[in-house]
Amino acid sequence: MMRRIWIILSKEMLDNARDVRSLLGSLSSSIFLPLLLIPLIIVVGRMMNFEAIEAPLQVPVVGAENAPRLVAYLEQNNVIIQPAPEDPKAAVTEGNLEVVLVIPEGYGEDFTTGQSATVQVIQDTSRSSTMATRARLENLLYGYSSQIGAQRLLARGINPSLTQTLVVQSVDVSTPQSQSMIFLSMLPFMLITVIFVGGMYVVIDTTAGERERGSLEPLLINPARRSEIVIAKTLASIPFGILAVLVAMAGIGAGFNLVPIGDLTGMRLNISLLTLWQIFLICLPMVVLASGLQMVLATFTRSFKEAQTYLGFVPLVVGMPSMFLAFSPDRITLTKALIPIYGQSMLINQLMRGETILPLNVLAGAATTLLAAVICTLIAIRLYQREQILRGSDR
Amino acid sequence: MIQVTNLHKSFGKVQALNGVTFTAPDSQITGLLGPNGAGKTTTLRVLYTLLQPDQGQAMVDGHDSRRDTLAVQSAIGALPDQRGIYPRLTSRENIRYFGRLHGLGGSALEARINHLIDLLDMQDIADRRSNGFSTGQALKVAIARALVHDPHNVLLDEPTNGLDVMSTRAMRQFVLRLRDEGKCVLFSSHIMQEVSALCDQIVVIAQGQVVASGSADHLRQTTGQANLEDAFIAAIGSEEGLVR
Repeated sequence: MMRRIWIILSKEMLDNARDVRSLLGSLSSSIFLPLLLIPLIIVVGRMMNFEAIEAPLQVPVVGAENAPRLVAYLEQNNVIIQPAPEDPKAAVTEGNLEVVLVIPEGYGEDFTTGQSATVQVIQDTSRSSTMATRARLENLLYGYSSQIGAQRLLARGINPSLTQTLVVQSVDVSTPQSQSMIFLSMLPFMLITVIFVGGMYVVIDTTAGERERGSLEPLLINPARRSEIVIAKTLASIPFGILAVLVAMAGIGAGFNLVPIGDLTGMRLNISLLTLWQIFLICLPMVVLASGLQMVLATFTRSFKEAQTYLGFVPLVVGMPSMFLAFSPDRITLTKALIPIYGQSMLINQLMRGETILPLNVLAGAATTLLAAVICTLIAIRLYQREQILRGSDR
Repeated sequence: MIQVTNLHKSFGKVQALNGVTFTAPDSQITGLLGPNGAGKTTTLRVLYTLLQPDQGQAMVDGHDSRRDTLAVQSAIGALPDQRGIYPRLTSRENIRYFGRLHGLGGSALEARINHLIDLLDMQDIADRRSNGFSTGQALKVAIARALVHDPHNVLLDEPTNGLDVMSTRAMRQFVLRLRDEGKCVLFSSHIMQEVSALCDQIVVIAQGQVVASGSADHLRQTTGQANLEDAFIAAIGSEEGLVR
């Protein structure tokens, strides 16, 4: 039994290792992961971390001549006033300008008579990339407003603090590491993709590919049990999945150590070698499950193309809960740790957050994930025992 | 020796086999002759344990294909309808893979592979990856791997399909040689000349039933036709009636 499994397993590994193009394909997402993740962190980090931005704010202003004092105030606060285009609304809608400040003609009159003077900030709140600019400008305008208000109250002999019934102070306890979690919590989903794509080509080649080449019928005539054939083929894809995870971890490790992410974003991001190693170990049961699950699905497909189409969706579907984790973090409990893939995703997030993980959660999750892999393999064996497995022409 | 008794097999509503019975003795070439869709491949697939008959029995050297699958698989060498080889493996590696699955190994296996490479005259492709092989070259690999364990019973499903004249001649010589070695050779074909030139015994199948069997002479006599082609058509025609 073990001997025949080894014969089939070693043949499939040799056969697929020679397929350089598929091998590169199976590593594609491993290579893309760090190439995607690190620029994403830098771009989004710079965009959202507006306090770190020291560059002057460029603000096109319509009717700057109506409010010389306001304009002077803005200029003192690191704003460069620019001429506005003829159609400011269109310019903002099209994304050519981030914001436009409009000071109406009646501003001066309202202001001198002590009424509330109106200014307009033309902005597109659906563009999150302009968030920092919009917030900066509005903060400056409110600052000016309360400064003038306070002066007016003082001129009437009233303490300005009377109108400020509440002083809201926000105390931010987030660490730089936890701020950066928003991006890093994408990592579990990306790793799931790496794992599934890593083993996908081998699974397809040994199932749908074998059938498409017409080598399945001759293989099944050999004195080997179907269970041996299925187990060997499932095992054959595992080293390729592990290789994909290793390449991805190496890429992330290299990226975080070579790219000065901290300097570029003002966030402190640290992933130690130990963390990378722990993540790698947590990934291993998922690799086994990926092989088993893809084996079952590929068995249903008739051709290489069909298999590729369907298996392409698998990481998306099984990784969906993990993707939600990036947007709404979930506290880990033993019950949740038992859910295959989702449990591992939460553990990886814990590691990235610098929290200590409970060995019980790791082991329990690994056990259920491996159990799921065994169930998948048993289903695949059942499928291979059916006569329809040939799906050839029955003449 | 192969004994097939009253085989029935249906796929959904299609009755592929409807009581096929014949015997293929040792040291003889038995030809399964029939039009496409007659049930030749289905019969062979029952023999190589890939299909379970709904009724009836297929025996190879006394082993029941339904129960003793591993024993039957060890006793047969088959060139099935689908005969794909692994394009990223060399001819030798393709043959070795099946040899190892049959429990062979070491120098005995390598000697056997070399013997088959000589026998099939495939020295030039022995250590080439089989990607891009011609039909004839690929067929040689498929036959060599089917015979790597020196099976006593050889089942060939339309072995000359897609071959050129020279390769077909070589194939026939090879089949005759197997018979002279005392093997039980069962091969299916829809080509009359091939069957008449090679076979000691012909089993004519149509619509899942054996409609005639015996030597070529016997078929000509029983149908009253001078040549085998007419005999063949007469045999099938009597079953298909007006449909033909």
